[in-house]
This record gives sequence, C-alpha cells and structure tokens, in this order.
Amino acid sequence: MRILLAEDDTLLGDGLRAGLRQLGFQVDWVRDGAAAERELASGAYAAAVLDLGLPLKDGLEVLRSVRQQKISTPVLVLTARDALPDRILGLDLGADDYVIKPVDLYELGARLRALVRRAHGQPLETLQVGDVELCPASREVRLAGVLVTLATREFDLLHTLMLNAGRVMSREQIEQHLYSWGHEVESNAVEVHVHHLRRKLGPGLIQTVRGIGYTLVREPGAT
Amino acid sequence: MTAPSRSRSLQGRLLLLVLALVTLVWLSAAALTWYDAQHEVDELLDGHLAQTASLLLEQERSVDVAEHEVQPDLDHEHKKRLDEAPLLHKYASKIAFQVFHEGVLVSRSGQIDATPLSQRSSGFETVLRSDGSRWRVFATPGHEGDVRILVAEQTVLRDDILWAVLRSVLKPLLFALPLLVLAIWWSVRHGLMPLRLLGQAVSERQPHTTQALALSDTPLEVQSLVQALNDLFTRITQMIESERRFTADAAHELRTPIAAIRAQLQVAMAGDDAERRHAMSYALAGCDRATHLVEQLMTLARLEATSTNHWAKLDLAALTRQVAAGLAGAALARQRTLELDAPSSAELRGNEALVGVLVRNLLDNALRYSPEGATIHVSVAELPHGAWLRVQDSGPGMSEEQMSHLGDRFFRVLGSEQPGSGLGWSIVRRIALAHGAQIRVERSAQFGGLDVSVQWPHPFTAPV
Repeated sequence: MRILLAEDDTLLGDGLRAGLRQLGFQVDWVRDGAAAERELASGAYAAAVLDLGLPLKDGLEVLRSVRQQKISTPVLVLTARDALPDRILGLDLGADDYVIKPVDLYELGARLRALVRRAHGQPLETLQVGDVELCPASREVRLAGVLVTLATREFDLLHTLMLNAGRVMSREQIEQHLYSWGHEVESNAVEVHVHHLRRKLGPGLIQTVRGIGYTLVREPGAT
Repeated sequence: MTAPSRSRSLQGRLLLLVLALVTLVWLSAAALTWYDAQHEVDELLDGHLAQTASLLLEQERSVDVAEHEVQPDLDHEHKKRLDEAPLLHKYASKIAFQVFHEGVLVSRSGQIDATPLSQRSSGFETVLRSDGSRWRVFATPGHEGDVRILVAEQTVLRDDILWAVLRSVLKPLLFALPLLVLAIWWSVRHGLMPLRLLGQAVSERQPHTTQALALSDTPLEVQSLVQALNDLFTRITQMIESERRFTADAAHELRTPIAAIRAQLQVAMAGDDAERRHAMSYALAGCDRATHLVEQLMTLARLEATSTNHWAKLDLAALTRQVAAGLAGAALARQRTLELDAPSSAELRGNEALVGVLVRNLLDNALRYSPEGATIHVSVAELPHGAWLRVQDSGPGMSEEQMSHLGDRFFRVLGSEQPGSGLGWSIVRRIALAHGAQIRVERSAQFGGLDVSVQWPHPFTAPV
C-alpha cells in the first residue's frame, strides 16, 4: 500500500517513514505543502499522512485545494494543533482522520489501513474473494484456511487487486500502487508477480483483460 | 477585609481628631472670653465704686458746709441718718461704704462693722476680711484731707458675672458635642464610602478578570490608588497571558520532537541492527531538539516577565568577545570562520544576561544556517548615537519573504536541515524591543549571506 507522507520535520519524517515501511507500507516523503498537493493530485496513493504546519503551503490549504480538485485519496492529518476548533476545521475541510502528535506507529498504521478499507467500501479488515483471505494488518494470506507464503510485492499486488475486486486495473495503475520512489520497475514485473500469485493461489483467481489489465472477479453473490 | 488589630479605623481616628480639635478651640474661646469679660467687668465695676465714692464725697462736703455755715445744730441728726443707711436691695449687702472724718467713722452702710475696710487713703485694693469675705475697696481722701471715704464691693459679685458669661459660652458646646459626634461620624462614613465600594469591587474580582476598575465615580483622592491597582491588574494579566502562552507553546512545540523520538524508538524496537542504530541516533537528536526548545522557551518566558530592574551599563564589545570565544570552538569544528572586529569598549544600558542571549542567538543562527567553509563576520562599534552590533555571513541568505517572517514564533526557513526551535529570532526581537534597540536584516553586500545589525540607543537616552 503506497502512502504519501507530508512532514517538514526531519527527525519525525524519517521515523514515520521507517516505521510505516516496517509495517509494510510503501512510503513517499515530501517536506512541503506544495509538493504534498502535487503528489496527492497524481492519485497514486492509497492514503496520505498530512502535517498541518508545512512550509510553502499550510496543510489545511493543501487539503482544501485537493478536495476542490475532487481528489478523494483518504487523508490522515497528523498535527500538534490539538485545539478543538482546529480539529473540527480539519475534518470539515476533508480530512478523513485527525490525529494529534505524538502518535503510536502501530495505531497510525491501523488508522491508515482503516482509511483505505473504508475508501474501498470494505467493512472488514480481512478481505475475502472466493476462498482466498487476506489480512492487511498481519500481512497474511490464507487459501481455504491454509496459510500461503507470499513475497512483499506479491502480497501488495494481491491486496490492491482484492481492494479493487470487480474493477479492471491497468498495469500502470498497479505499478503506481506497488512502487514508491527510488524503485526501478522492470517492464514485466507485474506479469511475473501475477504469474507467481496464480501458481500459489490457483489459476482462476486473477483474470487477464487483454489489452487493458487485470481484474479479480468477486464470487457470485458478493457485491 | 480584616484589618490587623493594631491599626485603628480611619473613621475612629478622624472622629477623635476632629472632636479634640473642636473642644480645644471651644475651650480657648472660653478662656479668651473669661479674660476679656473679667477685664471689662473690673473696669465697669471699679468705675461704679469710684462714682459712688465721689457721690459720697460730694454729700459729705455739703453736710460740712451746712454744718459749719447754716445748721450746726442739725449735725447730730444727720450723722445718725447716715450711720444707719438702709438696705434697699438684696444685693446691696454685697456693697458697702465707710466715711471717716478726721480719723473718726462718721457714717457707714448697715451691713458692715466699724473696722476700716482698708488702710489705704486712696486707690483700689482687694482685701480679705476676718469673716472670710473678699472685697474690692476704693479709697479716696476728701478735698482737705480730713475725710476718708471707702467704698467696697464683694468680689463674689464679679465672679458670678464671669461664671454666667462662661456658662453661656460653654453650654452650647455641651449640647453640640453629641450632635457633632453624630454629624462627623456620618460624614466620615459617607466620605469613606468610595473606599468601601472599591474594597468590595476588588474582593469580588475573579483572578482572570482582565477589565480595569471603573475610574469615573471614584473621588480624586482614591483615583491614584485605583490607577495603581489597574496597572497592577494589567501587569498580572500580561503575566498570566505570557504563562499561558508559554504552556501552550511548550505543549504544542514539544509534540513534534516527542512524536519523532517515539516513532524512532518504535522503529528501533522492530528494526534490524542498521535500522536500530540509525533510529537511535535520530531519537537522541530528537532529545537534543526538545532540550534546546525547552531552553529557548524558558528564555522567552523569562524575557516576557523581565522588568528593567537589573539594568546597568555594560560593555557590548567585551560581551561579544566573550560570546564569540565561547562559540569559536564549535565554529572551528564545523569548519566555519568566525571573525570579530570590535573596539576596546562599546557601552550600552541594559541587562547583561539578556544582551548576551541576543548576541549568542545571532551568532548561533549564523553558524547554524551557513554552509561549511562559510565566513561569519561580527563587528561591534560605538557610534555617536549608541552601541552597534553587526553579524554578516556568507551563507545562502534569505528571500524578502523569509526575512519578513523572521521573529514569528516557530518560523523556520524551509529546507534547513538544522534542528532549530524557530524561537531564536523571537527571542532576539523581544530582547531588542526591551532595550529600545533597532534590528535591521538585509542581504550582505560584502559576504552574500545575511546581514543583521542591531543598533542600541545611547546609554544616556536608553529606556530605564
């Protein structure tokens, strides 16, 4: 899951990036409001952690601006501004969550997962398609109840497809969701990962839509 | 309000004072009156005595003439009539006369015996007689010296008159005193009402009330007190406000370093060796940041509560040399060149500790925000209008917009990797303001970086 982190403080930004990476997130870190707005507008992120006291453009301004552009990426505001009016303003301007510093890394991770889940209309933490179960928190995948070992990228790819079950995702979209900055993406990387997933979870799960991309078909009866 | 037992009430004190004064004035008036009346009564009654004596003398002469020239035979009867002069009024007993003819008593009033009232032959005398009565006597000799006439009056009579006069003076005082007590008590109480109301208003005040006490209906005498109280309230309000701001700022600004330390420690707990070492060193840096922040906040808080009590003349040149010497090691270690150009002395009036903080902050900022190999040039001068400090560096400088934000609390220049608190400039500005010093920030023409100059007022015109 690729996350945008907007934080101007070096020590905190570094800590959050490292911590979220440990929790399995792909993290891109920007240090000012203008960069945060630009990156959010790309739509490549599953969610964003936004500090409010950012240089160049205040976090609230960034929030207002991206919501006006109809960008619906879930935004978690992480700030030292703890006054009630600030919290209300933040939420009203389009923040999906408002967290006061300091925050526990695991809680931050859980909140981010919850935001992503909700944004995709999933009520449960554990995603299920057919007899494949995926738990983002523990990063475990089970096939008919049996634990299946997946590589990081394979898990992320499956997670993305399961979150977007029923929708066709292009190879570019998938790449955007899988790789944070600084990672060279091999041209056939997605195909390789899909191939591995099919081998581990059965060939019928991931469907290729020729010329467009991949999709995961929900089981009959599921919405 | 409870007053200590030793201090008497203002009301009681005023009451006592006014009453004592009134009584004193009245008594002196009575004494004066007594003295005056006594003088007048003596003059008047002495006049009467003399008049009576001359009347008797005239009569004695006509008797003599008749006796010697017309009716010598009548002498005996005449003598007898005079001898037994009747009492015509009850007060007449207090007045008496004796007429001696050639040493022999020829006539006297009835109530007095034959003993001569006085041995004097002429003039006034006051005598005490054997029966204990005190008499005022007027003696006069006849024309030929063969007659001696003594007219006397008991002094009790005079005393009665004087006492009557005195009574008429003192009686109103006796009646007036209780009324005066009441009147004074009431007016003092009424006059002190504003003080009581003020006391009530002050005691009913809530500690966080910021509004001043109303001055409009306070009497002039109390206005200075109300003014002083209002000034005090303002100062207390400012102090509370600065305390509140300090708490809020501290809570707010410490959140970020604490969040960083927490995140780094959690990363360290879950990470491998390399990750742990990195995270730990960052957590330590976070602690240093928090410490620095707290120190700066404390300085700022102290600054806001500082009065000009500890001001004295100080030497900016010596102070700057001292601060620069303290930072020279750090400058060398970070490969910056620190140059100082200062005269032997440059005097200004201020708080030495605060001016030291200002100089340290300016130098520290220049060191922090200039790149490796940069030059920081510090100069001190004693200009005709006051001491002057200038810090220039060859760092990247600042944009106009950034310069305008200098001194905003927690403003930090973007992209600086340096862990500043964003409070240094707030502190510098506040110290300068307290000293009436002017700060100018511009691009250094000579070094390319920032050029900061602080101009203090002359020591003789500095705010005290």
